Amino acid sequence: MNFPEDRGFVTSARLWGPQSPGSTCRRVVALFLTLMIGSGCQEPPGASFRLNLEGRDPAEISSLAREEITRFLEELFGTPDEPRLPPGVDLDLGRLKQAAGHPVGDVDAQGTAVIRRGYYRRYCARCHGISGDGAGPAALVMDPYPRDFRRGIFVYTSTVPGAKPSREDIRRGVRDGLPGSGMPGFSRLGSDVIEALVDYVIYLAIRGETELLLIQYVVDEEEPLPLTVPFKERFVNEDIAFIASQWRAPEVEPDRVVVKPPSAPSFDDKQERAAWVQQGKEIYLSARAQCSKCHGLEGAGDGEQAGSLYDDWNYPKRSPDANQTEKRARLYTLPLRRLRARNLKEDLFRGGNRPEDLYLRIAVGLKGTPMPGAGGSPEVPGVLNPAEIWQVVWFVRSLSGQLPRCLESAGHAK
Amino acid sequence: MDKHRNVFGEHLWWVRRGFFAGIPPNGTLLWRRKGRVQDQMRGQISRRVFGRKAVGAGALVAGLLAVPRVTHGASQPWGCLRGRFVYDGPTPERKKLVVDRDIECCGKFDIRDESLMVGPDGGLANVFVYLRSRPGNIPPELADETPERVLLDNRDCIFIPHCLTVWVPRQKLYIVNSDPVAQNVAFSPLGDRPANIILTPPPGPTAEALWEFRRPQVAPFLVKCNYHPWESAYILVRDNPYMAISRPDGTFEIDKLPAGRHEFQVWQERIGYLQVATWPRGRFNVEIKPGTTVDLGTIRLPPALFQT
Repeated sequence: MNFPEDRGFVTSARLWGPQSPGSTCRRVVALFLTLMIGSGCQEPPGASFRLNLEGRDPAEISSLAREEITRFLEELFGTPDEPRLPPGVDLDLGRLKQAAGHPVGDVDAQGTAVIRRGYYRRYCARCHGISGDGAGPAALVMDPYPRDFRRGIFVYTSTVPGAKPSREDIRRGVRDGLPGSGMPGFSRLGSDVIEALVDYVIYLAIRGETELLLIQYVVDEEEPLPLTVPFKERFVNEDIAFIASQWRAPEVEPDRVVVKPPSAPSFDDKQERAAWVQQGKEIYLSARAQCSKCHGLEGAGDGEQAGSLYDDWNYPKRSPDANQTEKRARLYTLPLRRLRARNLKEDLFRGGNRPEDLYLRIAVGLKGTPMPGAGGSPEVPGVLNPAEIWQVVWFVRSLSGQLPRCLESAGHAK
Repeated sequence: MDKHRNVFGEHLWWVRRGFFAGIPPNGTLLWRRKGRVQDQMRGQISRRVFGRKAVGAGALVAGLLAVPRVTHGASQPWGCLRGRFVYDGPTPERKKLVVDRDIECCGKFDIRDESLMVGPDGGLANVFVYLRSRPGNIPPELADETPERVLLDNRDCIFIPHCLTVWVPRQKLYIVNSDPVAQNVAFSPLGDRPANIILTPPPGPTAEALWEFRRPQVAPFLVKCNYHPWESAYILVRDNPYMAISRPDGTFEIDKLPAGRHEFQVWQERIGYLQVATWPRGRFNVEIKPGTTVDLGTIRLPPALFQT
């Protein structure tokens, strides 16, 4: 994947940046470049979405099936340059269009370069890929891999286990980044750009999940080709409507779906606070919570499970048999990668290290990973109550020395 | 909705015809797929795929299927399908699985691979057979006879049973922990909500959970336990009751099938769609007549089929 249009813009941005002294000549060249890009005369050939063939032998899909899947998806979702929305999917098309396409730059009244549209390709596609497949040009060297949006699963959320993330969860990820991973925070871009990116990420996620279902119908189920109108109607009415309703749920029924951490306890008495941490430690080590299984007795991420953890994206690549693993690995874009349990002593938490962030990670778990939610959901009773979750949070914070010193003198044993 | 129509009406012409008026706002949908008609195009695809993949298997399973035997019974509006899977070779040894977690509890059990369960006289257990076409009318008494819960027990550090079926929306999955250690049940069916549930040692409300599936699947999916990597189970979720799992002696039976020609799917965990000479992609067609039983007889499966 290359971005000729992108490179052009970077050049002009560098020249026009306030830190660049720049001669008149360079400024003229830059203005010329910017105008050219702005007027679209350097418009690259249209970008296209890559078909999701993860885990499949490309030979098992006929060219007719490929064409039909691609055409129907384009009918529903458009192209990376010109997004569309199928009925029932509530996203802002104006914002989507701003985030989509190749980056287009401009110069504002102060002579500073600004980017007018094409945010996704400018800021995200290098890692996450034009298709949101988490396999952009830089993906291979990232650890963890950039998120593949196409399964519709996001790890750091505030919603009950099994639910989609809320809009705010995605927004937080884009704005604040995921500390300890390659994902930077984009707060400097301002809320308009971030909102457009949030819409675009959700769009790619819905499109990706739709694509997986469609491939299943066409390839595994051998839906008669070319796809008939009744099939398409059912697909939109049932499958896409279902996916869209899942994405709407956190906004429509926040009371049921979104978990709001109760306010954190505060202590005046040192002894009391130390006892709270100690209780957290006991829960951490208990058979009920099972934290130490992965995170280790001391929280160093070295529990007995630590060597056999995989996330949902990598789990299908592996097999107990080494030959089989090697054979399967060829069917995936990125090599198999093991998941590491977080070392809690480092005080580096991808979902944020505020007490409320840690509360949510424990209460709802990390979706798409082996970390389960201990707080339960409307259907499944939680194994820990809110007070117990807070105790674990305090204990986890104490591991990295993030509690006031008085705790140690009050007899808190690490 | 109108907003979308205005903007996208051009390419989604069928949207304009008012097909979407019936979407319930909360997204709770009735899953209904009409019968899939075998047409010329699909026939071609099936043959092509079959031709490439099953050449080896085809030679080995020549003469595989007995001629379906039809027995006439009392006059009922429903028919029955039965058969028996036999592993046509020496009983394979079940590999001992590595049990290296919670050894004080799980170490005392002889935990072995369950992906190919062959009985003493060759019967192959845990083969899924299920209706692929739309059933039409489902006799109401079937719903009454079907329990509302399907039990998945965590016992002796394995899932029991290893294979199960769930009829949605009628049935829910009832997950129980009977072990003195905590268990985990994790699965993520395509297009449905993923689950990752902790079950504490009993007694207590957190030693069990009730899970509701929201949509049917085309094939069984894997259930795993993140605490004990050797554990596995397979669940088939369908929107009709016409599914069976072969018993330890290899026999299976699907009763109260509406009369008519039906397509069935066969699936086995080691190889996925159980594709043999006469069953491209593990599918076969059977004509069900009222009050009769179609017996597929003994279906002999050569060991080569299961070598992955």
